[in-house]
Amino acid sequence: MRERITFIQKQGDSIEPTTLKIKGGVLNGPEIQAAREDRLTIAIDELPTDLQALLGTAHELHIRYVSSQPYEAITPLLARLPPGFHLFYTPAGQANATSPALCLALNQIFGNVQCENPEKSFTTLPRDRFSHSAAYQFYQPSVDLSPFIALAKEKLCSSSKDQSCAARADRLTNASSLDISYDAISHAVKLTATWPYQKQEVHATSRPQTRTEVGVLNSDRPGHLEPHELGISGLLTVLGQDKKPSATMFAFASRHRDAESSFSAEFLEPTGLHPTLKLRLESSKPPIEDAYCSPHAYFTLPKTVFADRHQLSDDLFLASKNLTRLRYISQPVDLEAPEYVEKRWGSSLLLELSPPEHEESKSWTAQVPLHLRYLSPAEGGYTDIQVPYPAVFWACAAEEGTKFPNNPFEKANLGYDGLFGPRTVFWHVEPRPTIGSRLSNMIKVPVLDTNKAEWVSGGTGLAVLLGFAWIMWKLFGVLSKFGYQNQPSQAAEVVKAKKNQ
Amino acid sequence: MATTSPAAPRPKSKSSSLLSTLFSRPLPLYVSAFLLRLVLLLYGLWQDANSPLKYTDIDYLVFTDAARFVSRGESPYARETYRYTPILAWLLLPTTWTAGAQWGPLAAKVINVAWFSFGKVLFAAADLVAGWLIEQVLVMGKDFPSSAAQGKEKDTEKKEGGRKGRSETATGMDPSRARAFAAIWLLNPMVATISTRGSSEGLLGVLVMALLWAVLSRRITLAGLLLGFSVHFKIYPFIYAPAIVWWMDQERLSGLRAGGGQKKTSSFRKNLTCFLTLPRLLLAFTSLATFFSLNFLMYRLYGHPFLQETYLHHVTRIDHRHNFSPYNTQLYLSSASVSPSHSAGAAAAEPKFKIESLAFLPQLVLSTILIPLTLAKKDLPTSLLAQTFAFVTFNKVCTSQYFLWYLVLLPLYLPRSSFWTSKRMGLVALGLWVLGQGLWLQQAYELEFLGRSTFLPGLWMASLGFFVVNCWILGVIVGDGGR
Repeated sequence: MRERITFIQKQGDSIEPTTLKIKGGVLNGPEIQAAREDRLTIAIDELPTDLQALLGTAHELHIRYVSSQPYEAITPLLARLPPGFHLFYTPAGQANATSPALCLALNQIFGNVQCENPEKSFTTLPRDRFSHSAAYQFYQPSVDLSPFIALAKEKLCSSSKDQSCAARADRLTNASSLDISYDAISHAVKLTATWPYQKQEVHATSRPQTRTEVGVLNSDRPGHLEPHELGISGLLTVLGQDKKPSATMFAFASRHRDAESSFSAEFLEPTGLHPTLKLRLESSKPPIEDAYCSPHAYFTLPKTVFADRHQLSDDLFLASKNLTRLRYISQPVDLEAPEYVEKRWGSSLLLELSPPEHEESKSWTAQVPLHLRYLSPAEGGYTDIQVPYPAVFWACAAEEGTKFPNNPFEKANLGYDGLFGPRTVFWHVEPRPTIGSRLSNMIKVPVLDTNKAEWVSGGTGLAVLLGFAWIMWKLFGVLSKFGYQNQPSQAAEVVKAKKNQ
Repeated sequence: MATTSPAAPRPKSKSSSLLSTLFSRPLPLYVSAFLLRLVLLLYGLWQDANSPLKYTDIDYLVFTDAARFVSRGESPYARETYRYTPILAWLLLPTTWTAGAQWGPLAAKVINVAWFSFGKVLFAAADLVAGWLIEQVLVMGKDFPSSAAQGKEKDTEKKEGGRKGRSETATGMDPSRARAFAAIWLLNPMVATISTRGSSEGLLGVLVMALLWAVLSRRITLAGLLLGFSVHFKIYPFIYAPAIVWWMDQERLSGLRAGGGQKKTSSFRKNLTCFLTLPRLLLAFTSLATFFSLNFLMYRLYGHPFLQETYLHHVTRIDHRHNFSPYNTQLYLSSASVSPSHSAGAAAAEPKFKIESLAFLPQLVLSTILIPLTLAKKDLPTSLLAQTFAFVTFNKVCTSQYFLWYLVLLPLYLPRSSFWTSKRMGLVALGLWVLGQGLWLQQAYELEFLGRSTFLPGLWMASLGFFVVNCWILGVIVGDGGR
């Protein structure tokens, strides 16, 4: 087991090495303004046997939980996803795609994960061009982290008396993101949690049988920095091994950057059954010059709401919404089914936005037309649904020949990264809600009011019966008066009979 | 939807010379029907090119997408929500054609748009042909040649296109008057709009009208082919089969009264042999052969998706979305309560008798048995209208394009209807029909665009109200058909 605890400050906020006190596997430092990332790497044979068996069915599995609380991203922890519970999965064999094992386990670990098996509940990701994409995707807007926290305490804390360990597990409730990543090649599970940029005390304690490395870092700009690189400097300490922190400075290529602007998303009123999500972007200028850049929005839409790819194929229509085109939508998306018969989690889509062409930067909007599914009837006639914010970023092409090897803070398999070429850099725009304090919007969906449904069955039956009876009565009237025979020909027969006489 | 009688010109009105000129000769009527569609078509092209709100119907994009798949050698069912026979996609193959390299960019654009509009032109042309057939059927009379006395002339008349001796028959109509009634279809803005927006219902109109024309003019093989083909195309015309078969009795087709002058003793076997006439068997054979060979061919070409999308879809569909059908609210309610993953409130708690599972009964009893039995021999066009009206009114799903199914038959019934003899009654019926839809549409607008939960009681009551109005109208049609 290995652990890496990283405090990350902004550029120019470095601390003095002398302020870090290292004593017998415990590191203490001053209170600083920083983001924090904890990463635990667990070899597969260190896991409980049931989890080992579960991971044995996977070629790769990435679970990414993102808090719906807005947070400021700090270099280099820049990759963003829509808030919610994301899962990317490649089964070890096709049989595992139809097995309910993964879904059962997810339900135990996270509580109320609405999936039956990957084949039915997940969507497939395109794997033709970029093989690094996982095979299946799953998403839901929220999960309950408490079963996971209980499990973490049980498995990771040495005894129930270890209060500091339990407190650390409890802090996951406030994490801005939690990643659980496994792939068969590395044979290890990586648990990565991050907490937002805030005031916090530098503190770390080593744990038995665990190599713990603590970094107090800040972004930096060393002289030799290439345009596609990020620079980091700071202090590194291996607990129980180092007597004092060692200074470090390094640079690495990163596919995720900070566009240093923000956006908000809200629905146009009234929402009706065809709500339009309005994205307001603060800046219309690309984050870098002399590179081809265009803004994109990546949505993970729960099954209650969907986009119609046919509607999003007309250039005039797209232009009127400040959209360039629909770059990707997961398939299939049923355009008619009600929510309550739809098994798939929903759909993901990538839209290229079209910023106004102006010399100076200014705020602008793009509208995303969506459609609601019918939801189950409910008391009161309305059901509230949550529609998460998209991830918004400028996708810019890096120079020919640029390589992006893995870096210590790299995240891959985010759903959208596999939809771009390997030289694309994602300049993330920060979501900053103007209404409310969550990265999701609520829609009040009209449904059939079960309180008023008492008379529907009887009333419908009665109306149909009455209508039917009225027509039967009229038919009976015709039949009893004229029979079912042909009138004119009977008349003709009478004429014929007269002639014969 | 205010499209029926008041909009229709009044043929009797001598004061209006313009109207009499319009109908006195065929050319002015058909030219104005053509111009109406041409203007709408061109306007639609303009709107599509200049507005994000499209004139073209979404269904047309489905058809043309499917045609594009076919042109690439793929299945039309590769396009989701394509729920039609592959023949429709084949017919629209020209919409996938593009201008060659020898054209300039502007000319190429014009050519491409023209080819893409091919389907709309086809549907609009089908409208015109349907209108012309309406005129022919009206001129022919509902029961031409109605009496045995005309039996000898039958062959010669057929060759002359049935133009001779029209005025002698009680039901045959003066051509200018027939054109005035055909104008209800030909100059109807709703009909013209639907086909120029690219909805294929106009094709159904021409098929049904051609079927009726073929039957009335005793072209049995042609009638069988048309019947088989239209059922393959859209299923619902199967309701016409019992009416046509019932109508085709021996006296009509041979001029002889079956069993006339013989002993009155009737046995089941004799009745059956009397019933199984050669023309009836011929019709059954040609229609079934057409239907099954088309289906067999399509199944061979496109396999299960063809069956699933064209036919089985109608068995499994839930129809939970709001529409005019009286069953709609009930279907939404029960479709949610069978789903195991959700608890849908009190209504779902106990398993109830489901009224909608028997919905097909009144619909099919009326449209395939009782109405044809009662009316077909007396007045075949009115029987077909009443059957279609019953089928649409009692259907589990009902949208405004279904109204076209009976609208094409309306001009044949209207001249001898109570709605025409009593103009007040006609206006009341039309007013109620429009009002019923208006109330429903208002509730649907609040739901769809304002997000108000109008399912209950608004939409439900509106759909029942519209249903009651339709039942009343149907009752009057049935009563008229018996006269």
